[in-house]
Amino acid sequence: MRPPRSRPFPALPTLAVALAVVLAGCARAGAPAASGPSGQTASTTGAAFPVTVTDDDGVTVTIDAPPSRIVTFAPSATEIVYALGLGDRLVGVSGPFDDYPPAARSVEEIGGAGEFGVDPNLEKVVSLQPDLFLTIAGGDRWKERLRDLGVPVFTIDSTDLDDVAHDVGTVGRLTGATDEAAEVASELLSQADQVEQRVAGEPAVSCFFEVFYPPLLTVGPDTFIGDLLDRAGCDSVSEQAKADYPTWSVDDLVREDPRVYLVSSESGVTAKAVAERPGFVAVGAVAAGRVVLIDSDLVSRPGPRIAAGLQLLAEALHPEAFE
Amino acid sequence: MIAPNRYRRILLLLAGALTASFLTAVAVGAVWISPWTIVRLIAWKLGISARPAEVPRSAEVILFQLRLPRVALATVVGAALAASGTVFQGLFRNPLADPAIIGVSSGAALGAIAVIVFVGSGALGAFAVPLAAFAGALLTAFLVYRLARIGPAVHVATLLLAGIAVAAAISSVMSLVMSFSGEQIRDIYAWLLGGLVGQGWESIGAIVPLVALGVLAAGLTAHDLNLLSLGEERAAQLGVEVDRLKRRSIAVGALLAACAVSMAGVIGFVGLMTPHILRPLVGADHRRLLPAVLLAGPILLILADLVARTALAPQELPVGVVTALLGGPFFLYLLRREGRPRARA
Repeated sequence: MRPPRSRPFPALPTLAVALAVVLAGCARAGAPAASGPSGQTASTTGAAFPVTVTDDDGVTVTIDAPPSRIVTFAPSATEIVYALGLGDRLVGVSGPFDDYPPAARSVEEIGGAGEFGVDPNLEKVVSLQPDLFLTIAGGDRWKERLRDLGVPVFTIDSTDLDDVAHDVGTVGRLTGATDEAAEVASELLSQADQVEQRVAGEPAVSCFFEVFYPPLLTVGPDTFIGDLLDRAGCDSVSEQAKADYPTWSVDDLVREDPRVYLVSSESGVTAKAVAERPGFVAVGAVAAGRVVLIDSDLVSRPGPRIAAGLQLLAEALHPEAFE
Repeated sequence: MIAPNRYRRILLLLAGALTASFLTAVAVGAVWISPWTIVRLIAWKLGISARPAEVPRSAEVILFQLRLPRVALATVVGAALAASGTVFQGLFRNPLADPAIIGVSSGAALGAIAVIVFVGSGALGAFAVPLAAFAGALLTAFLVYRLARIGPAVHVATLLLAGIAVAAAISSVMSLVMSFSGEQIRDIYAWLLGGLVGQGWESIGAIVPLVALGVLAAGLTAHDLNLLSLGEERAAQLGVEVDRLKRRSIAVGALLAACAVSMAGVIGFVGLMTPHILRPLVGADHRRLLPAVLLAGPILLILADLVARTALAPQELPVGVVTALLGGPFFLYLLRREGRPRARA
């Protein structure tokens, strides 16, 4: 049994602001498509409204009719809405990170407010008159205010890959796109299952996942990425970490000598730059040229492309299984 | 005044403690490297002896690329912070002065960040960030001094308030500057959060001459700072050019603080604690205090960093957290004590 997973990095407590800005610094065009086509309007047949669902914050939300004006406040939520074919109902997204599919870039941005610039602009949200506001964990204060203003706020907090599939189903129920959701969820799970099958026969490879440097930040076992690494056949150096995003000792990295060194693309470096850092030359993965940049959007967003992220990790760790 | 013999013994004791903490900090970590191995590896690097065959390459890399630079940096930064604190305490004639508390470190940080955002960290070579930090520290120190000084004296309350107000204003400007950044934001976070991690020999080599310059200049002002402690008027009567002395000591304190900040970010309380711990031992004479703090500051920072990287190993803490945990209560104790009227020695 896996321990409960905590959320992916956008909701990091201490480094939330730091990483949010780091994310902003490397906003770029969407990565190769992994999920199905988007843009068609979903059918709402077969769905029963009103629907009442309890969200991941424990709040019970009732939606009376199929939402026609959806606002998302997380890139993952945006991706789910498009994957369900509901892109044309999206009237607001959080900001420039909502870059996939590319069409999301042209939707009005409602984020960037609050003391640290990571809250939604409440006036703008209300002016868009959303009948569904989809977001992830965190921000209890502004969520409460939005609810008081009559905005139906729904929180999805995907703790691991299975939970992403489950949450896609939930969004399907809320929007009436149940058939599409079932399809996306089962596609995601079968794709992930195929990857896991491929690496199942391989011994786990010792690896390290870098989030930032310096200081060297990595992921703990109870994180979303920690779960993906586990599934992809990684024997992570930071397996025993007590924190979710711990600062790691480079001494320990050298001692553990992982065979594969994974770098979040957010870290903004090249394999060559990694090799030039003090001490890294003694890491086996660096010496053997097995430093792999991982598109952080694919592994940190709990959305429909997460199976593609899993495949990316698995290919980096077990290239022989994918030949 | 303490006897010269006793002073010499204290210096020897501090030098011994510095050597011991340096070696301990280099030896301890994820991999234990015995002091004997350290000595033999260094002897090999210096071409004195053959490479000890049984020592794995990883231990060699850890020693020369990770531990030694880190502990060496802690040494230089600890010395710079302690010397800066000593100079500021002498100048303000106030024992609560510390480059971080009076906002000078924030000023240095603003200078460094401004260069990273508007010029780029590598564009002007290794000296760009330290020099910009110096400019920021210098301006802040002058500003705080002007604000804190009422008549001939700098009172505890006005000094702290001026420091806090200026630091708060600077942190807003820092946020503003950072909002202009794009891709450089990663460099800024690396600089802000990096602390003693990830610095190679070249960057340490670049900072050492600047620190040495600052220490030399601090030594040259030591006698005048002693006279200044009698009061500006008395100092002037004794032949001190008071205004010049003030400008010089602000520049020296700012330079030393800027060196520390540009290499390791804002680390509080080392500059506050070190002179305090030593004054009862070696006396208030700056000519004696300065050599002692130059030995003790590094000990404090080396040990704080040792705690920072071993307490939760293999996770690490920022070294500033450890110095603040030590220094916070110390500061509050001093604040209570300074608040009470007492006879001047």
